[in-house]
Parts: sequence; structure tokens; C-alpha cells
Amino acid sequence: MRRRLLVWLLSSVLLGGFAAAAIVFYQARMQSTEFFDYQLRQLALTLRDRDYSVRELAQALRGQQDLDFVIQVWGPDGRLLYGSHPEIEVPAPEGTGFSDAVTASGNWRVFAIWHRGLTIQVAQHKLAREALALGAALRTLLPFVLVLPLLGFLIWRLVGREVRFLETTARAVAKRSPESLEPISDEAVPDEIRPLVASLNDLLARLGAALSQQRQFIADAAHELRTPLTALRLQLQLAQRARDDDERQKALATLGEGITRATHVVEQLLAMARQDPAAQSAEHKPVDLSGVVAEVVEAERPVAQQKGLNLALDSRPMADITGDRVALRAMVENLIDNAIRYTPSGSVSVRTYVEGTQAVLEVEDTGPGIPAAERERVFDRFYRGADAAAGGSGLGLSIVRRIAERHGGQVELAEGAGGQGLLARVRIPLSPS
Amino acid sequence: MRLLLVEDDSMIGAAAQQGLRQEGHTVDWVRDGKEAEVAVTDKVHDVVLLDLGLPRRDGLSLLREWRAKGIGIPVVIITARDAVTDRIAGLDAGADDYLVKPFDLDELSARVRAVTRRRAGRSASVMKIGALEIDAATKRVKWKGEEVALSAREYALLEALADRPGAYLTRTQLEERLYGWNEEIASNAVEVHIHGLRRKLASELIKNVRGLGYTLDPLPGPLPREREK
Repeated sequence: MRRRLLVWLLSSVLLGGFAAAAIVFYQARMQSTEFFDYQLRQLALTLRDRDYSVRELAQALRGQQDLDFVIQVWGPDGRLLYGSHPEIEVPAPEGTGFSDAVTASGNWRVFAIWHRGLTIQVAQHKLAREALALGAALRTLLPFVLVLPLLGFLIWRLVGREVRFLETTARAVAKRSPESLEPISDEAVPDEIRPLVASLNDLLARLGAALSQQRQFIADAAHELRTPLTALRLQLQLAQRARDDDERQKALATLGEGITRATHVVEQLLAMARQDPAAQSAEHKPVDLSGVVAEVVEAERPVAQQKGLNLALDSRPMADITGDRVALRAMVENLIDNAIRYTPSGSVSVRTYVEGTQAVLEVEDTGPGIPAAERERVFDRFYRGADAAAGGSGLGLSIVRRIAERHGGQVELAEGAGGQGLLARVRIPLSPS
Repeated sequence: MRLLLVEDDSMIGAAAQQGLRQEGHTVDWVRDGKEAEVAVTDKVHDVVLLDLGLPRRDGLSLLREWRAKGIGIPVVIITARDAVTDRIAGLDAGADDYLVKPFDLDELSARVRAVTRRRAGRSASVMKIGALEIDAATKRVKWKGEEVALSAREYALLEALADRPGAYLTRTQLEERLYGWNEEIASNAVEVHIHGLRRKLASELIKNVRGLGYTLDPLPGPLPREREK
């Protein structure tokens, strides 16, 4: 940055110098044209007024070869009677007054005047004039060129001083390990850079929050996996110690249950990870929520029957919602699965209907319910109610809430009919028609 | 030994209970902190196996309360909390040992044995009382250098008596030691097992003093019959 600034600033200064020189050059040339034209004319008029004969003129000008004017006298018949510099050819004038002539020896400015049948022509090489203008221009440019190194030095130092805090900030950022996400100090940072530091700090803060959330999740997940793993290990040891086939069969059966439970926990963890805002990739498409609910109810029916529960579905046709079908199915599964899992006897009723612009899904059971004080906490990851039955991962409702919120909806828990059991209600906005 | 298992997870609880029973222990299992609080007041257990993350009452606060009240029952914490700070907190709260899940059944019972041994002031797992040798780790009993096969109940009874040689244990105390909450106890169960022990070892070994109870006589020692001669 320092080098770039230096190059740009010096180039600008130099460019300015050249521009000034060019202007001076043109102005000087214009002035010198006027001045030299006047001189040329005066010379010609003087020669006319002296009324020299050709010979006298030649005599008067002898030895004056270094004059930077070429004086010629032409006869009426167009013959050259006299030339101060015979080696230089300037064509005969086509008329009187000023004109420009291009010859082999360069560009000439010419002034011609009539005098008693003769044409007196005075010519001056244009180079002489331009040399003057050029000289003026160079003199203008010179100071620029001379101060350039000094300017460069000053710019280098000044920019360096102003950029130093940027370097310290950059070093502060570079020194940061992925673990240390404290904000960067914005003291002694100029106003122009402050927004950058502020947004960097903002990013760091969000990164830190996301990171600690992830860490917490991993820690919780690891902790949560310990329980099923402990059960598996103990169950395996019991199977190994079995003294007869009967004992072994029983031990292996409980081991199988343990594996089913561990699998469930792992699946729930994966479902949870998939619902992380950072991992959202699924396309949102129109989904028939009541159709998804009907599918899940049919899939869960054998489980309910095995427990002797009555699983009822009351589904009203409804417009589509916009969403991720797989996630929505996971949400419905979790709700119905929970209801069946925690209801020892009685029934689980599933209802879908439309209220205003929202699709509503209700799952009501006749289980123990959740005390009002705990209803908010059960949405926390890995939270299990005080009287929660075994086998839950503590993630189900957390997953449900996440999916509902991703679809712009909400989840609420209430008492079931007659103050008994649990009623879970999900509202998700219908697609605008 | 009679153990109180405090564990809210039904699978772990069931497996641990079964495993420890196979080792010859009597295991009562409660699933939350409140139940554990009540169970300990019965004072029938030798060791408490305490999970920390319990519903209704946290294990650690329970332990602190016991220790504050002077309830000195040996406690082995079994938990998934494995951070060093957690272990320190557990031990400082008054735990005798700390076992992190997932654990091994063998390790669990070894720690239970170690804790009771330490409480009894012994450092080796083999107890020697006169001509009687009891190896708590292998549950083998030797009498005069020869191995004697005992049933699980007989062993548990002998171990209970050997824990504090010379002390008297009532029939009720022995019953409590031998049987869990939901086990049916025949009215003469203790007498039956005492009879078995006397028959297999020596009749003088276990004494019964009316009003006081049973005790292990540590010095039936160098063959009573020979002494008579």
C-alpha cells in the first residue's frame, strides 16, 4: 500500500509538471510567435525604409552571417537578386505579408514586402522560436523534477506513519489463534478504518458465538452418547458372563434394545446437525403437510398398536406450505414418536387444519404431560423431563422447534383435553396463493 | 454386600443391578435423587453407587447433604461427567471413589470392594481371621488352608460377619444385608444359611448370643478339639 501510494502520488506530481510544462510551452510559443513576427516585420520595414540598393544591402549585411534571419531580395521577374544565406533556399513569396514555408531545411516563417518593384523577404527558421518556447517549458518543469526525490521521501515517511496502525491491526489479527476471538482494539484507529475494525469485531463475535455453540453441542453430544454406550458395555458383559443359553438369550435381547436406543440417539444427533442453520441447503418446495402427516401416522401405527395405543388421525385438506419435505417429515415423526413413547396407555390423536393463513398440526396424547414450568425447557437440547421415560435422546422437541422455525412457524406445548396429557401444536404459514 | 444403586437410565440401571447381583451383592435400585434420599435413611446399605445427573435432585447436592448430616456411608460416583474439575468436585463433596461412564462391571465391583476395604481399615483384598481366609475379589473362602465352596447367600452372610469381627449383628441386620427390597425372605432364612456355614466350616466359628445376635469368633483358631486334649 505504501509503495502504491508513493508511485501514484509521484506519478501525479510528475504528470502535473508535464501538464504545466506543456501549457507553458504553448503559451510561450504563442507569445514568441507574436514577438518574432513583430521583429520580422520590423526588420523588413527597416530594410525598406533604408531604401538600400541590392548592392548596398549586401554590403551592409556582409559579415552578419550569424544572423538568424534570412534576408532575400527578389526581382519583379521572380529572380533572386540577393540572399543573405545563399546556401539556404527559401521559395519566392507568393504575395506580401506573413506566410509559412516548408523547405528541405525546415519550416520557415516568412514576411514579404514590396518596395519599388522588388520583393524584400525576411525569413526566420521556426526552430528558433520553438527553442525559446521549449526553453521556457523546461524551466517550468525543472523544479518539479528537482523536488521529486524529496517529495518521494516525504510521501514514503508520511504514508508509513499513517499506515503503521494498520500494520499493528493486521498483526493483531494475524496473531489471533482460532481459539481467541476477543475483539480487536479500535483505539488509535482513524475514523476511516473504524468501520472495518468494527465489522471485523462483529464477525469475530458471531464466529465466537457459533463456535462455542458448536463446541457445546459436541460436548453435549459426546456426553449424551456415553449413556447408551455405558448401557451397551454393561449389557455386553452380562451376555459374556451368561452361564446358560437362557441367560445368554435374555442378555442378547437387552443388548439388542441397547443398540436400538444408541442408534436412535445417533440418528437424532444427525437430524439435529442437519437442522443447524449453517447446514441448510435443501431447496424449499411446495409440501402438502396433511399428506406428510398421514404418511407418518400410517408408518407409526404398528408401534402404537404394539403398545396398545389408539392412534387417531383427523386431517382436513389444506393448501401447500413451502418447505423442505424431508425436514418436515422428521418434525412430524418426532412429535408423533414422542407422543407414543411417553404415553403408557390411552390414545394419541393427530389433527391437521387451517387457521387463517396458517397450517396447524396438533398431536395430543393421554400420557403424563409436561408441567407448565418445564414446557419451555424441554425445547433445550438434551434436556429430559424429570419424569421422562427412558430411551429418549433429549433432542426430539429441540429438533421439532428448529424445523418449525425454519419454516417460519412456532411450536407450543399445552395440556391435553381435560387437563391431562400433552398437546403439541405446530403452526406453519401456508404458501401465499 | 448390600448396595444402593442410584441411576436414572433404565438400561444402565437394569444391567448394573443384574451384573452386581451375579457378583453376589444385594442391589437396590432407585431412579432419582429424592428416592435415594429416602433410601439412605434406612441405613441398610454398605455402599451407594451414585449417578450425578439425576432427576428431581442432583447427585452432588445429595452427597454434600449426607456428608453435612454426618451420614458417612461409602459413596462411589458413577457419572458421564469426566472433566477433572468434575472429579475434584465429586471427591471434595465426600465421594470415596469416582468412576466415569462407560465403565466395566468388573471395575465397578472392584471399586466397591476397595471402598469397603478402606472403610474397614484393610488394604489387602484377602481377610484372614484365624483359620478363615476370605478373598473378596474372587469370593473364595478357605478354612484351614482348604477351599470351601459356599453358596452366594452363605458367602454374603460370612462376609457381613467378617467385615467387623467380634461385632454382633442381629438377624434383621443380616436379613437386610442379604435381601433387597422386593425379595421374599423366608422367616428362617438367616438360620438356614448360618447352619450351612457352620456345617461347611466349623460350628464354633459363628456364635449366637441371645439378645445380641450373631458374631464371628475370631479365635476358634488352633483347632478347638486339639486344645481340649
